[in-house]
Amino acid sequence: MQAEPMGTSQAVIATDGLTKHYGNVEALVDLTLDVRAGEIFGFLGPNGAGKSTMIRTLLGFLHPTRGSATVLGLDVVADSVEIRRRTGYLPGGIALYDSLSGADALEYLGDLQDQGAAMREELCERLQMSKSVLRRKVRDYSRGMRQKIGVIQALQHDPELAILDEPTEGLDPLMQHAFYAVMDDQRAKGRSIFFSSHVLSEVERVCDRVAIIRSGHLMALQDVEELLARRKKKVELRWRGVAPDLAGIPGLADIEVKGDRMRATLQGDVSGFVRAIASPSLEDLTIEPARLEEAFLEYYAGDEASEEQRG
Amino acid sequence: MNLRLYLQTLRWNRIRLAVVVIASVGWGMLIPVVYVAFADAFKELANSGAFPRELMNFGSGSLFTLPGALTLGLQHPLAIAFVGIFAVGSTVSAVAGEREAGTLEVLLSKPISRRTLYITLAAASATLVGIVMLALLGGQLIGVAIQGVTDELDLGLMPLVFLNGLMLWGAFAAFGLAASVSFDRHSPALGLTMAYLLVNYFLEILGSLWRDVAWSQQYSLFHHFNPGKILTGKTDAADFLILAVAIVIPVAYALWVFPRRDLAAPS
Repeated sequence: MQAEPMGTSQAVIATDGLTKHYGNVEALVDLTLDVRAGEIFGFLGPNGAGKSTMIRTLLGFLHPTRGSATVLGLDVVADSVEIRRRTGYLPGGIALYDSLSGADALEYLGDLQDQGAAMREELCERLQMSKSVLRRKVRDYSRGMRQKIGVIQALQHDPELAILDEPTEGLDPLMQHAFYAVMDDQRAKGRSIFFSSHVLSEVERVCDRVAIIRSGHLMALQDVEELLARRKKKVELRWRGVAPDLAGIPGLADIEVKGDRMRATLQGDVSGFVRAIASPSLEDLTIEPARLEEAFLEYYAGDEASEEQRG
Repeated sequence: MNLRLYLQTLRWNRIRLAVVVIASVGWGMLIPVVYVAFADAFKELANSGAFPRELMNFGSGSLFTLPGALTLGLQHPLAIAFVGIFAVGSTVSAVAGEREAGTLEVLLSKPISRRTLYITLAAASATLVGIVMLALLGGQLIGVAIQGVTDELDLGLMPLVFLNGLMLWGAFAAFGLAASVSFDRHSPALGLTMAYLLVNYFLEILGSLWRDVAWSQQYSLFHHFNPGKILTGKTDAADFLILAVAIVIPVAYALWVFPRRDLAAPS
């Protein structure tokens, strides 16, 4: 099949009612989402949520029970080989051939990819895999070094779409930042990245949009910025003398007053809140930015509550 | 077929292959020596009736004739172990072993269809088995030449012996690969393939030692590998046909099942 480059308006991944059952177990249920060309898409969920099942279905390891999916406009069942030619994949907890050196492993996997290895040298440099390290056998590598080889083999042919399952697992903080920089550069080049993780801070740091999955169900799909904007921020203020009038401030809730301090949550516009509390008696104000982790937990807490109600 | 994968598979086996080839050549050379040294003594013993003739046979082989001795050498447990390392050991590990180790995940993330993977691994297995068969037969020919008994052999029939041996071990290799693509773990694939091999071997040896159950040999693939018959000009096309069927069935099964299997995340 002739490969055609994707336009930026097209979805690089599109699923429609994608469902996968293992016997009676529902691993994915009616999952409909799209990943746009040129974005970094975070796929979030706890262990066993269905993240790996989704990825393995996209790459043809698993066959959908119902529904359909396309990657780069190609059907995941009929065109699996072509999809794998044009994508790069980092499996979670990657296993490599221990008897090969790092360099030979990259060479071998690059040859099998058959798309050249234009980015190999650059990636080795950025992820600090020197020639002497690459000469060593994979069996002598630490967990982090293996992960770096995994990342390099997934990206060395500069794929249109990279599917990365827990890519920073085992990387030290320095290498995590080097990896994030690589992700940013790939996005700048118009490449797309599908990024599975349960490390919320990195999804927040790297991704444009995020899907949250639980027990095979899609719980949320939206821009990271929007998701964060909708979250409640934590505000804390301190004053001298007369307490400011907090009644009727839009978005302010969970108010706790203790002496000359007040803690509350704020949803929505910060400027309105700041205007409302502006007073000479105000001594200190702290507004903590919303974290994706809280958004994530809120989704799950909400779901658990509704499950309990159903129960 | 994927040439890079094929060459890498051979490369991974190169040291093991070198050791097995040396051992196979040595074993092959020994058989004509044993034949020349002990054939007359065995014939006398058999003719005296002091020792049951059946017990002097081993499978379809014997030490009474050179073709029989060569057959014995090729059906001996040592020869089976040499070829079995690749026909059973390597084939069983080829997919189930990689799956258990987690490397199949990386391999299949590359643009290689499962059919291509299977065909490539089958070709590599056939190559490895063929090389060991050549080493065994080559060793036997060297031994025959050293002992000066080449006049007792029709050397022109040796390629047919090679083909017959390749088909026998090809059948076991095809079974091993079919088992390998069916399981997520190495152990059940190995257990099933070893059971298949041992049952076949048992039926052949049982029938050759106990004439009342000689019929059992017909059900053994080893019985259809008979260099003795070929080298005495009594080639039976049915032997080749049966071995071909024993190859085709597991190959067809694997080509049907493997692409359709779900490969869930390694646990």
